[in-house]
Formats: sequence, C-alpha cells, structure tokens
Amino acid sequence: MLNPIDKKRKIEDISKFFLKYFKREGFEFVDLDLIIDTDLLTKRSGEEFKKSTITYKDLSGKEISLRPDLTISTAIKYIQDKNTKTKKYSYFGSAFKLSLNGKLKVFNQIGCELINSKQGQEDKVIQTFLKSLKKYKKKKVYLGDIGIYNSLIDSLDLPERWKLRLKRHYPRTPYFNELIKRLETNYDLDQKKIDYDYNRLEELKKINGNKVIAGRKIQEIISRFEKKKKDPRDNFIGAKSAKIIKDFLKIKVPAHQTEKKLVNFFTKHYLRTKLLIKALKKIKKLDSKISKQYNCFYQSNLGREIQYYTGIVFSIELNNKEISRGGEYNNLMKTLGYKKQINAFGGAIDLNQLLN
Amino acid sequence: MKKIKLGLPSKGRLKDKSIEFFKENGFEIMDPNSRNYFFKFKNNTIIEGIYLHAREIIERLNDGTIDMGISGLDLLNENSDDYKKRISLNKKLDFGFATLVVAVPNDWLDVQNMADLEEISFEFREKNNRRLRVATKYPNLTEKFFLSRGVSEYQLVSSLGATESYPFTGSSELITDITSSGTTLKENNLRVISDGQILESSACLFTTNKIKNINLKDLK
Repeated sequence: MLNPIDKKRKIEDISKFFLKYFKREGFEFVDLDLIIDTDLLTKRSGEEFKKSTITYKDLSGKEISLRPDLTISTAIKYIQDKNTKTKKYSYFGSAFKLSLNGKLKVFNQIGCELINSKQGQEDKVIQTFLKSLKKYKKKKVYLGDIGIYNSLIDSLDLPERWKLRLKRHYPRTPYFNELIKRLETNYDLDQKKIDYDYNRLEELKKINGNKVIAGRKIQEIISRFEKKKKDPRDNFIGAKSAKIIKDFLKIKVPAHQTEKKLVNFFTKHYLRTKLLIKALKKIKKLDSKISKQYNCFYQSNLGREIQYYTGIVFSIELNNKEISRGGEYNNLMKTLGYKKQINAFGGAIDLNQLLN
Repeated sequence: MKKIKLGLPSKGRLKDKSIEFFKENGFEIMDPNSRNYFFKFKNNTIIEGIYLHAREIIERLNDGTIDMGISGLDLLNENSDDYKKRISLNKKLDFGFATLVVAVPNDWLDVQNMADLEEISFEFREKNNRRLRVATKYPNLTEKFFLSRGVSEYQLVSSLGATESYPFTGSSELITDITSSGTTLKENNLRVISDGQILESSACLFTTNKIKNINLKDLK
C-alpha cells in the first residue's frame, strides 16, 4: 500500500504518460473549473443530484457545486468557449461525490472527450483508451447501448405513456424497479376515479389557446387532456412485458454473439425485430473493430446509472475491476445550454482503481 | 426532580390550543395574557416555560435547549432523519390539523394525479429547456414525495409565505403547501391533485429522547 505522498506522485507520473498519449492522438488538454454553477447541474439531473454533490451558496446567494464529474465540466467548457466545431479534449483532475451515507468520495480521473463530431466515431475514442492501457494485459471490454434498450421498450405491447416512463426512469434504478413492480401487478399511481371537468374544458376552448397558465399554454393543456382520454390507463397486461425487460437486462454475451442472442430473444418473445436490427448497427461496428484484439462482451444493462448516456457505453476491466468507463451523451450539451443537440462521446480512466 | 424546559407556540390558534391542552391536564398558566415570553404554571416549580415560534421549538428540542414542546408533525418531518434520533413524539394532539398537499392551477385540467405530473414534467422540460418549479415551505418533504412518485424533473423554489400566489406571478408552476379546509387554495384558483397528499399533520407533544417516556402527571 502506497503512502499518500507516494500515491500522489505516482498518480501524477501516470497522468503525464496518459496525457502525452492523448495529445498524440489529437486530444488537446484543458484545465477544467473545479466549481460548477449548481443551476446547470439541476437542469441536467434535477434536485435529486444535490444529495450526492457538495453544494455551497456564494456571497450573492448563488449555489455552486464542486464538480461531480469531469465529462460535465468538459461539456460546460465547450459551451463557455463558444465552440461550434469538433473539439477533442483531454483532462486530468478530481471529481467529488457524496455517497448515500454522506461520505465524501474523491475520484482522480484522466479522460478524453470528442464533442460535436460526426456520428460513428465511438470506436476511435474507445481505441484511444485501449491503446493507452496497452501495458496492462488481460483487459476485458464491455459494450452496451441504451439505444438497444430503447428499441426493446418500443417493441413491447404497452401504452405509450408506459414506454416513455420506462425510458425516462431507466437510469434511476430504485424507482425503475418500483415501476417494474407496478407494471407486473398492473398497479398505477392513478387508480382513483377521475372526474374530468368537461364544463371548464368548454370554457377553456373559447379562450385564446396561446394564453399561458402557470407556464403552460391553454392549447397544450387541451391537447393533452384530449389525448389522455384516448390513451388506455389500466386495461393492459403488463406482467409479460415486465418479465421480458427483467430478462433482457440480464443478457451478457461475447460481443460477436450479440446480434444472434438479441434477435433470438426478440423472436422468442414475439417482438418485432425491425427497430432492434437498426439499433444493433453500432454494436456490430464496434465489435468488428475491437473484438479481434480484445476480450469483448456485450452487456445489456451497462452504463444505465449514468443519466446522460444516450447510446453506446463501454467499460474496461482489469482483474475484474473497472478501470475505465465512458459513453455517448448526445443530449447533454443542449441540456447544459448549447443551442442544439450535438454528438458527443468520451470516457475516463479511474486512476485510483488503476493504481490498486 | 430536575427542572423541565417547555416550549409552546408563541402565537395564534396553536398557542391558545396548547395552553388549553395543558389546562385540561391540570397545568394552568400564570398570567396567560402577559406579553412576556417566559411563563410558569400555577403551583408548579418543575416546568419553566418559554413561548417560541413552532419551527424554533423543533430546533431547540434538537439542540437540547428545551426538553419538551408542542409543535407540528410536519415541522419535525421536514427536517433530516437525524432530528428523530434526538426528538421523540410523546403524544399526537387533537388540534392543529393540516395536510401538506400538491396543488396545481385549476385550469390544468389534464393534471389529475402524480402520474400526470410525472408526464408533464418531462414534456415541460423538453419544451422550455427548464424544469417545472415547485414553490414550497417544505423542500425536504416535497422532494422525498416527488421522487417516490417518479417526478424527478422539477426545481424547488423556496417560499416564505403567500405560496398560493406563486403560480400566477411567474415564480413557480405549482406548489406544495399546508391546508386544512382547502379554502385558501380554492380562492387562489388552485386544486389539490387526487393522490397529492404528502403528509397528514397535527400538533404533537414532543420531548427530547432523554425523557421520551415521561408522563405529564410526573411533572405535577
């Protein structure tokens, strides 16, 4: 076990090696702010994130947080620098999070991010990580894709509102598990009889639809009201779908068997494979580039706990411990204030874990 | 017996009902109309009383400055679970009833329950690139309740009073607030959603954990 000074020195030595490698691959080093405007984080993750983040109020009453994650800090940097073109960033530093019992955890991370690039560049970033970790033998690579999970949900025989819920709450595991239980028992939150106010509806229809009531336009309220009446609330059977989802989330196979395994899974459950075939393209491409050199697996539930991942996710393991992780986060930039949605992909190496 | 410091609410119906409760149990306050913040009971040397704001009573029980007090259950539950390690509920009292509820503008006809709120919170964020704002005096209870119902896309706005006006002044889109009859909500064009009851509260007699099994009779 290294003493803290030796450990710090060792981390700095290793980081120099990685940063040099990332530079050679075209990733420009950026020094990221230690502090983030809490509002930006709230926009991304809601009030919930505050439980795991160290947040203060500055003298003007504005809330600021210690960065919980370096990907978010990099994304903010891209926006603040008013970039419009592709950027390849590398970084090194600490991220600060509170565990469930309130203990501070400091992660020393080194990573790189590819922002505003063309689609299909995932393999380049993953290969950069794998090559930089060349001297560490017997690595295992795990791949996942949130898009494949979404294609499963879209293929299920469920009301639209349930599909949306199962996608939106996928990263929040405890609540997601509650949702699955509700789906199994067909219990929804709204079992009480609802008395729709049709009289008021008629009155609202006479008012200018653009009038705003507490942030919502009248036309929006009327349209959702009409839609809701047509959407089946309780007359569907969810138990079968719940089982399919639970079984899907257990799938783990060598990456080259992904297509066969998933197509068989869909067929066995009488689900249309059209959306799946489309979603499989990315994994197949990655498999063709990575599996030849590395021990590579597909894991269906990989990366679900990171709220901003939208597509491909990867994890690199050494001696069965994760040393690196990353993924695609195409919605994050817009959430943080960029004018439009852009492609972004990146990851980081956990230096503490690597040293262990 | 060691002296017991008692905190009672300093104003309004809660104060009157608290004094009445002690009177019914054989403790009559000397000079109840005095504006002095400190009080004593007739023929009693054990209890030393002080009038405090109901929120303050919870804080002082938590730090051990007082040993016993009357306050609302909602005010205890609003604090972190850590407070319950130091404060015990001795008796629920039959006054000070109120319910903490989720209320939306009357004209949001499509929002009848928490499942609706969950749906529109996502839609609202996608359309406006910001979260639904919830004005409240009870941020912790609100947060726990919302998250347990799958409503994660919201932002809390801290309110100190007149919370019912917030959705119509552009300060929030909806509110959570304490109501007893619902009249104030109704008069301000707000409606409680069907499964939006966060907490049923009443006044309670609380003690610090050190004297949690104490009986009022022991204090005579």
